[in-house]
Amino acid sequence: MSPILSVRGLAKHFGGVAAVQGVDLDLPAGLITALVGPNGAGKTTLFNLITGAVEADTGRVMLAGKELARRTPARMARLGVARSFQDLRLFQSMSVQANVLTAIEPHAWFWQPGGRRARARRLQATEMALAETGLSALTDALAAELAYAERKFLSLARILATGAQIWLLDEPASGLDPASRARFSTLLRKHAAQGVAICLVEHNLDIVSALADRIVFLDQGRKLAEGEPQAILRDPALAAIYFGERRA
Amino acid sequence: MSAYLLNLAELGTIFALLSLSLNVLIGYGGIFSVAHAVFFGVGAYAGAQIALHLAPDVLLAALGGGLAAGVLSFALALPALRVRGEYFVVASLGLQMVATTVFTEAQGITGGYGGLVGIPPPSLFGLDISSPRLFLSVCIAILLAVMAGVHALMRGSFGRSLMAVRDSESAAEAFGKIVPILKTLAVVLGCIIAGAAGGLFALQMSFVNVESFTLDQSVLIMAMVIIGGVGTLLGPLLGTALLLLLPAALSFLPGIPPTELGAVQQGIYGLAMTLLMIFRPGGIAGRAEGRRWGGR
Repeated sequence: MSPILSVRGLAKHFGGVAAVQGVDLDLPAGLITALVGPNGAGKTTLFNLITGAVEADTGRVMLAGKELARRTPARMARLGVARSFQDLRLFQSMSVQANVLTAIEPHAWFWQPGGRRARARRLQATEMALAETGLSALTDALAAELAYAERKFLSLARILATGAQIWLLDEPASGLDPASRARFSTLLRKHAAQGVAICLVEHNLDIVSALADRIVFLDQGRKLAEGEPQAILRDPALAAIYFGERRA
Repeated sequence: MSAYLLNLAELGTIFALLSLSLNVLIGYGGIFSVAHAVFFGVGAYAGAQIALHLAPDVLLAALGGGLAAGVLSFALALPALRVRGEYFVVASLGLQMVATTVFTEAQGITGGYGGLVGIPPPSLFGLDISSPRLFLSVCIAILLAVMAGVHALMRGSFGRSLMAVRDSESAAEAFGKIVPILKTLAVVLGCIIAGAAGGLFALQMSFVNVESFTLDQSVLIMAMVIIGGVGTLLGPLLGTALLLLLPAALSFLPGIPPTELGAVQQGIYGLAMTLLMIFRPGGIAGRAEGRRWGGR
């Protein structure tokens, strides 16, 4: 399957620390790829480099085969790359509905183009995303007042409503109870089946093995292995690195 | 209503417009500026010059003042907004200090320390509105129109985007918001309103000088917004009423010598700010209104 998003030789140093060292990554449509590795492996930094939140020292990012030279988070969002954050970064003072609506209003000017029809479409997309994530009853609630699992699902609803074809999810299921986790997995599976390329950073290996089609194992900014979940998770050398028993 | 109370009401309306304008920056955009009096001053000088050399028309002075402040703020906002948070506060402090010097030294435009005097009484489309009641009515009409405009903008997609930037700049960017444009628009919008307030102020006072546009004034405007309630429509009005009426009310209280009024006033401001931040950090109107923003 040809990848929608490809990364080649992406690297970033912060002072003397090599955060990401020449990483290659392919995100094919319809597959869930998990980035796994110990703390400080460079997983979130890789997301930051792909989306342009942090400028890469070297390396290329290609979307549907076309290289994206000047990446900014806003541009990547417009190109259909949506991301979530480990700390969620919800728009706390806004309602659940406004959080989602804001995520799909593309322009920064005083009004949105497209008139009432476009506005109705955005409202419909918002309602569908909230329904799918089980937040319909909380439409008018403030994001800051939600329970933890609801906040996680709101973070996902924002992405879902955008219609983006590439999702970069940073620890999206951490801290969820088993029922919420199952609902979350079903949701991700459904959208992957519809052709969305999903890449998630996740520390919970049960979730990874249940959800991921492929695993990319990172350590100290380098890609150490890539393959099917069972092969990667059963590798004793990688397990030792993951659990901090030894370095690569 | 006595002439004194009418004068107070006129000033209150103009300052309500001014604090409403700063609320666009602080309350909705999360952009803390301590240079807002600069744009109030630019508007006042522009309004005064229009009144002195063209016509003392209220709308002309407000529009001219708004335009002058808007253009200046646009020129300054683009480079200034490249810095974040507390660095922007420091940059705005620097602007306030430079502007105070410019207001004092640019005698050809501002009249220097002596200011611009002899501003003719206000008119509207050629009709004399120098009667305090008429002038107050026009100021109130302008305030209500601006409030309606700001309310509509902030309930719409622009307001949502701006508040999204305030809540999480990186998340807003990740959803396609071009943060520098949004922040610049917020600053320019706020400064246009501040400039318009300045134009009205020049006609109300019939005299303007640098003393009305110092750091103290910027801090006072900020206090009005914070005490009233950031990010709310009525908060700035409540804050303005409180901080303008308080000195007037104190002067009527028996037992406080006139020489001690300033100190008592400062003490009350300080205490009010401290208590508010502890018990009602959203300001007087904060909690009641906060939930309504950002919806459909």
